[in-house]
Amino acid sequence: MTGYLRPATLDEAVAALAAGPRTPIAGGTDVYPARIVAAPDEDLLDLTAIAALRGITADAAGWRFGAATTWTDVIEAALPPLFDGLKAAAREVGGVQIQNAGTLGGNLCNASPAADGAPNWLALDAEVELASAAGTRLLPVCDFLLGNRRTARRPDEILTAIRVPRPEGRARGVFLKLGARRYLVISIVSVAAAAQFEADGRIASARIAVGACSPVPVRLPALEARLVGRRADPALAEPADLAPLAPIDDVRGTASYRRDAALTLVRRALAELAR
Amino acid sequence: MPKVSLTVNGKPASAEVENRTLLVELLREHLRLTGTHVGCDTSQCGACVVHVNGASVKSCTMLAVQCEGAEVVTIEGLAAPDGTLHPMQEAFREYHALQCGFCTPGMVMSAIDLVQRNPQGLSDREIREGLEGNLCRCTGYHNIVRAIAAAQQVMHGKVKELPRAAE
Repeated sequence: MTGYLRPATLDEAVAALAAGPRTPIAGGTDVYPARIVAAPDEDLLDLTAIAALRGITADAAGWRFGAATTWTDVIEAALPPLFDGLKAAAREVGGVQIQNAGTLGGNLCNASPAADGAPNWLALDAEVELASAAGTRLLPVCDFLLGNRRTARRPDEILTAIRVPRPEGRARGVFLKLGARRYLVISIVSVAAAAQFEADGRIASARIAVGACSPVPVRLPALEARLVGRRADPALAEPADLAPLAPIDDVRGTASYRRDAALTLVRRALAELAR
Repeated sequence: MPKVSLTVNGKPASAEVENRTLLVELLREHLRLTGTHVGCDTSQCGACVVHVNGASVKSCTMLAVQCEGAEVVTIEGLAAPDGTLHPMQEAFREYHALQCGFCTPGMVMSAIDLVQRNPQGLSDREIREGLEGNLCRCTGYHNIVRAIAAAQQVMHGKVKELPRAAE
């Protein structure tokens, strides 16, 4: 590691990236453990001194989560039930110290297939804000996450915020994950769901995303379509709904176990939405 | 090499470090504050927990240079100058909340942050959840939870003296 920069403004940060490649870091909770065995010689761009990158704001259009907002910030924020799933992810992403240091933007940019934030952002129909010296662009999260540890972020760009549109009517979010233990482990399967409800309690629209069962978390469009106009009910989820998943065998579980657990968690998420 | 200046346990400290120097290395190797332990180096075990600007963090996953201007408190900064222990330290002693002691500095630092953030008081279950980031491989959790439950009463001013452990 040859150079370390900690600019106080976004302008300085994007100028630094325009000048040459640097690895952006915030909480560092994914960065350092990955470098214990072989620390690459890389220049770092520490984003934690840029106050504008941290915090949650809301307006008529929706919510804006600064990329350097920590999981603890999410837990302590007053947010509507739409974000109950995101809050659950914040509480289970790691122990308190990881919640204090780890950031929403870092979790997305790290692009682990098992990232607890990612399925939530898909369920929330979120977009990312990417800034560079050339300007700012918006990209849906589903287009931002390209594969295992791969995103659409250009080397000269900084992820500055995640935006969530404001739904019409009553909305709720849910997040469930399965790990060998509750914290401190990488998820075997995770499920995030968000639904908007009609006045009579039927589902107006729903988005359901599964994490850790494919290179990037994916939504389940067949199930989402079937839920429209109905009341949330675990019985509505069918094994064929999991067709978009491509789980693998690894040290944490087999593909068939993942598939089985994913269906169970999807059904539990629907039961939770029905409450 | 860059110089980092910060406050450690209420006193100004500075050191010349490499960019890649971790906060825990700054504390242990440069400042010789070896009460903060390194257990896993991968942000899992929690033996290295310290407070940075009032929040508990794992010092093995934070760069020293990121702490420029920060207020850091380690296990060495808890007791009063006359040696009077912090109520949490006193409770860990009274309730025998340790066996080998390796995880203890991190446990104590996490516990203090947990209690300070929850002035309404914590149930045993909430204490256990709050300690998810700290591993004790002597399986000493039971007494650790009892110690924290007792210490919070002192820290929140509910009782003047630490409740004694039953014989």
